Amino acid sequence: MPDIAALTAALAADVPATRAEAAETLCRAGTDAVAAAVPLVKACGDADDQVREWAVAALEELGPPPAAAISELTALAGGAHQLVAYWATTLLGRSGKAAAAATPTLAKSLESAGDPAVAERAAWALGKIGPAAAAAKPALERSAAASSPRLSRLAQEALTAIGG
Amino acid sequence: MRSVVVACLIVLGAAASAAAQYAQPAAPTPKPAGAILIASFNIQVFGESKMAKAQVVDVLARVVRQFDIVAVQEVRAKSDEIVPAFVRAINADGSRYHYVIGPRQGRTVSKEQYTFIYDTTRIEVDPSSVGVVPDPQNKLHRPPMHARFRTKITPAEMAFTFWLVDIHTDPDEVPQELDALTGVFQAMQAARPDEDDVILLGDLNAGPPQFKSFQRIPGVAWAVSGVTTNTRRTKTYDNLVFTRPATSEYLGGWGVLDLQSTFGLSLDQALEVSDHNPVWGAFYPAEVRGAGMPPMAGAAAPVRR
Repeated sequence: MPDIAALTAALAADVPATRAEAAETLCRAGTDAVAAAVPLVKACGDADDQVREWAVAALEELGPPPAAAISELTALAGGAHQLVAYWATTLLGRSGKAAAAATPTLAKSLESAGDPAVAERAAWALGKIGPAAAAAKPALERSAAASSPRLSRLAQEALTAIGG
Repeated sequence: MRSVVVACLIVLGAAASAAAQYAQPAAPTPKPAGAILIASFNIQVFGESKMAKAQVVDVLARVVRQFDIVAVQEVRAKSDEIVPAFVRAINADGSRYHYVIGPRQGRTVSKEQYTFIYDTTRIEVDPSSVGVVPDPQNKLHRPPMHARFRTKITPAEMAFTFWLVDIHTDPDEVPQELDALTGVFQAMQAARPDEDDVILLGDLNAGPPQFKSFQRIPGVAWAVSGVTTNTRRTKTYDNLVFTRPATSEYLGGWGVLDLQSTFGLSLDQALEVSDHNPVWGAFYPAEVRGAGMPPMAGAAAPVRR
């Protein structure tokens, strides 16, 4: 098994090729790289496109993040970088009800995210959180009436999942 | 017809043995005369860093040379030179492959392209048929690329013609995307009155137990079942989906080209190539008219190499 801590440190190296190699190796580690969930999300904001692509590929296969990562992921989900926010939101959704504390941030993303993909993924994530995301129902109801067919559909699905 | 299939599988076995030897072949890999081999291969993050690794490119080229068409997923690069450079590497042994490629797609700044790489000595593409499936409701993260192909190893009036529909689903929205793909498949069936053969292939991020929505397609069938298709040998993600009797050209032969065992790689070396193994199906190269004459009774045993 690769040294996840060392690879995580290498994601912050000065040399882009070193960062890309670290991201690629973490990608090859599959779900064993889950401890690097937050650094991989941050790497989605890297200036080097190969670092970003390998970080995205690693996150696609990572599964749900550790519970200890929820707080930091919530902060990243509300950030300005589109790809970072998108993947932080995705990992929150994969966490299900364990990410209930992220509900206010995700509800805000529905209406104020600078990118439609982040807003849509926030709707999806709220649906994955389920009844514990009940506080987001007003925002979801507004999104369900949105002109975007995808955001509207995902908001409706989230409302169904939240129930009540 | 059965003898054709047997011959096909014998040649496949020979090709697998040749591939297992790591030395560079002196001549293009021989292909069966009685079948065309259509494959799907998710080449994970196929971009500059992967193309910079000669040993990885060598394995990828050897994979493609074993098939008549490879539907590739996950071309991820800013450069437009990745696939042309890869095709040059494939053709370095005298092979004559070419490609068609789709636009960059994805909801974020991380985009992917589909490409079909095909052996021009055996297959031709209708250039006007190449495109992306419309997705006005935005149900698919990366709407499939389609193209219509024709075999060249039988007289033109008899040649097997077919749509290929290349797809990589979003792993976080698999049920919704499979449901949407059911509609895509049916739309492709109706796209041309003179074409009944539709083969949807790619990384579905799902296996047959999750194919409930596909059951809405009359006669639906798929090639890969009961085996894993990822490099770690833990998941069945990749497949070829078609209908019978429409695509009665399907010979029943299929397989998963296991990167580790075929090329003698460690798991980590195989993962450097991709986290997916290629999957393939064998098809008769001439049109089989009428439901009463399937080319083969029953399915052949799958070939895992």
